[in-house]
Amino acid sequence: MNGKKWLEQTCRYALESSLRKGAGQVRVTAVRDVSNGLTVLNDSLEKIQSAVESSLMIGFFTEGRYGSCSTNSTDPAQIDKLIDQALASVRLLATDPCRTLVPASIRYNGPPSQMAHKGEISTGEKKSLLFECAAGVLGKELSLISVTADYSDYRRRVQLMDSTGLDCTSEETWYSLSAECAVKGEGDTRPSDWEYSAGFLPSAVGLGSGIPSDYALRALHRALAKRNPGKIRSGRYHAVVENRVASTLLGPVIQAVSGSSLQQQNSFLLGKLEQTVASPVLTLIDDPHRKGYPGYRLFDPEGMATLRRTVIEQGKLNTYFLNTYYANKLKMQPTISSPSLLTMPGGKGNALSLAGSVKNGIFVTGFNGGNCNTATGDFSYGIEGFRVENGQITKPVNEMVMTGNMLDLWKKLVTTGDDALKTTAWQIPSLLFDNIEFAGL
Amino acid sequence: MNHKKLLELALRKGGDFADLYLEQSLFHEIILRDGTVNAAGTNTDGGLGIRVVKGQNTGYAYTESSLASDLEKAAKTASYIASGKVASIVPAAITTLNLPDRYPILTPWDSFSPQKKMPYLYELNDLIFGADKRVKKVTARLADSTSRIEYFNSLGIHCTDTRPLASLTVSCIMEENGRRETASASRSFKMGAEFLNTDIIRELAREAVSRTAFLFLAGQPQGGEMPVVMSAGSSGILLHEAIGHAFEADFVRKNTSIFSDKMGKRICRQGISVVDDGTIPGNRGALNVDDEGVPAQKTYMVTDGILTSFLHDRISARYFNVSPTGNGRRESFRHMPLPRMRATYMENGTDSTESLIASVKKGLYVDTFSNGQVQIGAGDFTFYVKSGFLIENGKLTQPVKDTNIIGNGPGALGMITGVGNDCLIDNGTWTCGKEQSCEVSCGMPSVLISSLTVGGRL
Repeated sequence: MNGKKWLEQTCRYALESSLRKGAGQVRVTAVRDVSNGLTVLNDSLEKIQSAVESSLMIGFFTEGRYGSCSTNSTDPAQIDKLIDQALASVRLLATDPCRTLVPASIRYNGPPSQMAHKGEISTGEKKSLLFECAAGVLGKELSLISVTADYSDYRRRVQLMDSTGLDCTSEETWYSLSAECAVKGEGDTRPSDWEYSAGFLPSAVGLGSGIPSDYALRALHRALAKRNPGKIRSGRYHAVVENRVASTLLGPVIQAVSGSSLQQQNSFLLGKLEQTVASPVLTLIDDPHRKGYPGYRLFDPEGMATLRRTVIEQGKLNTYFLNTYYANKLKMQPTISSPSLLTMPGGKGNALSLAGSVKNGIFVTGFNGGNCNTATGDFSYGIEGFRVENGQITKPVNEMVMTGNMLDLWKKLVTTGDDALKTTAWQIPSLLFDNIEFAGL
Repeated sequence: MNHKKLLELALRKGGDFADLYLEQSLFHEIILRDGTVNAAGTNTDGGLGIRVVKGQNTGYAYTESSLASDLEKAAKTASYIASGKVASIVPAAITTLNLPDRYPILTPWDSFSPQKKMPYLYELNDLIFGADKRVKKVTARLADSTSRIEYFNSLGIHCTDTRPLASLTVSCIMEENGRRETASASRSFKMGAEFLNTDIIRELAREAVSRTAFLFLAGQPQGGEMPVVMSAGSSGILLHEAIGHAFEADFVRKNTSIFSDKMGKRICRQGISVVDDGTIPGNRGALNVDDEGVPAQKTYMVTDGILTSFLHDRISARYFNVSPTGNGRRESFRHMPLPRMRATYMENGTDSTESLIASVKKGLYVDTFSNGQVQIGAGDFTFYVKSGFLIENGKLTQPVKDTNIIGNGPGALGMITGVGNDCLIDNGTWTCGKEQSCEVSCGMPSVLISSLTVGGRL
């Protein structure tokens, strides 16, 4: 049976079986993934990996109660046994009237969501890509310790049904290539860095282009630039945060506007809807229908239809991310369970041009640990990057910590770039903040 | 399953070694939210992972199917890491390992219904709300799993292991004058439903309330370099991040660890010994056997200040021509094993906590943590401090919270100037995220590090 047919039949079987057993209302999700991965370390194939996997998830909305079960078994007898066990557990729970299926008025009713490459790529082509990638640096730099080139791809099919008629499907493919180089640094240190590319077509990683990838070379240059870092004096500096790590700073904001944080009163943005929470420079859009990019989706895991939304408009908070459950709990309208494809429009330039405008700052190229207290917004992150003096990048810095409060941080946003990477679902450009506290010497 | 045939198929291209990892796992969870236990989940997961090793290289495939044709296809896929035309190794005759039982299950989770679990969560909820009028929200999650593993390899090793795991996590939100604070507490052990008892519920309630209430008194400290006294217990995250990962021999084998050239050398002062231990009964990091058929052991990584062992899987052990240390672990049958930690801790020293604090004129005392990270090659590690105190003139003074501490592994080890005599293993829900997710634990006596960089306000 092909994957598509298996999904439909499995979903339907689980749905009907659950209803037969008295589940009341049911939502069923079936997923089939086919994935491959290869790794080249220096000049040899270090790993190959291949898998076909399935999963079935069932949510029960039974007699005012909610529970779920999941399995990777495709055996109907096993599925039936699991449903029996799960339903027995659900019936012991306290009732929760806020647990409901997605209302018909906001659920997805459109055609299948399709963002998939039609063909297959041979293992030989993938191997060649990796060996060529690694060869780009081998023998070209004395301090190179190792180069690792990783390739992975998957094809994912999803079928989502519920007992009120929801029936949606999606298919996507994803291809990614990364290279990491480690070099000899001062003393025993071995700094490393990476480059990455990905997309839903094989061409996103260079397959079929005939052009050798330069990811390893770019990773090497980044690693070399990090040699012999040091701390600088604690103080307030401009902070340029590079596009590939800028989403770390956005993460706590998104968590704070999620239904679970808001309903549990564990959010520094509770009660801030329609209020100014950031600099007027900040506009953040959830744009799920930009086909071809990660994060593209027509429906969320509940089957709710996605819509384009301005989350923050010129600093003003416009929306929360509320699934059906938390919307019911908060007596608000559901929006969507989580952001899909975030963009931050309106900026200009890249990290280097932003740094070029800075007299005294730190160019943050990586975060090393840290966390944010979601209730208060207080945060503290380890950073690595470079000192910026009079618009010039002068020396690498490490072992420093950036500390502050999220609400204060985003009000200090001076400008944004237009260099967002298109390989992640949160397409956040490089950011420039003013007057940020860094601890070092 | 015909294990002999699968191993032969896996080795058909000339692989040096092959193994089969068969797993069946059952997971349950119940969640208390807004005063009621109103969500439950059940998950079953199972399949077979087939690995072929050729030198340092690995072919891996897994299947969720039990059909012979699917198993054989997976074995053939993994075999392609080697490129020969014929097998050079014949699987040895099977011998089953006799293993200790470090996590006997007195009450199987399979037979312990949600009805029996729920009263514990309600008691936890009531104790927390009853302890402090500022409490606004309590969320508690009880998760249990039982994994049944069967393992075969081409060396003839066969073993089985049944691994229970129980975790209870509670979060508390309090509000005072419009300000909200949140903290959590957790316990996790490899054990059956006997895990649940009144003592553990009371401990968790007390911890959750006191940790949250503490935060109203605390602020972010002033940042900069300063001496840091790490309290006994969860400070073991320092060992996990600062040195443990860099001792994992896959990094060493690839020469990307900052400790790659340090075997047999002094890396910290005399009197300091650091172990990674899979033998603590019931511990979250305990194992009877690792995930490649090597019995678990207690491994001294640092002995009296000297680096004496890395943490090996079979590949690195063969590369370095040493015995594997039982650290080959994996998240599930979907993953190939890697060198991973188990319970990592420092053995006792001779100082008292009081004397360590008293020796610091201006610094920081830290006692609860949430997460950490390390850069293996650069050696820079961090850990996030949820709570602690300033030390001023040898005394604990202002409460502090929410700060990240950063240091360099070898540097920080060299700056340990005092080790307490109060080693404690922390039994929280520590999970290591090196490529895969793995349950671990950590511990430490109180330790004084003469200088680390503390994040904070100016």
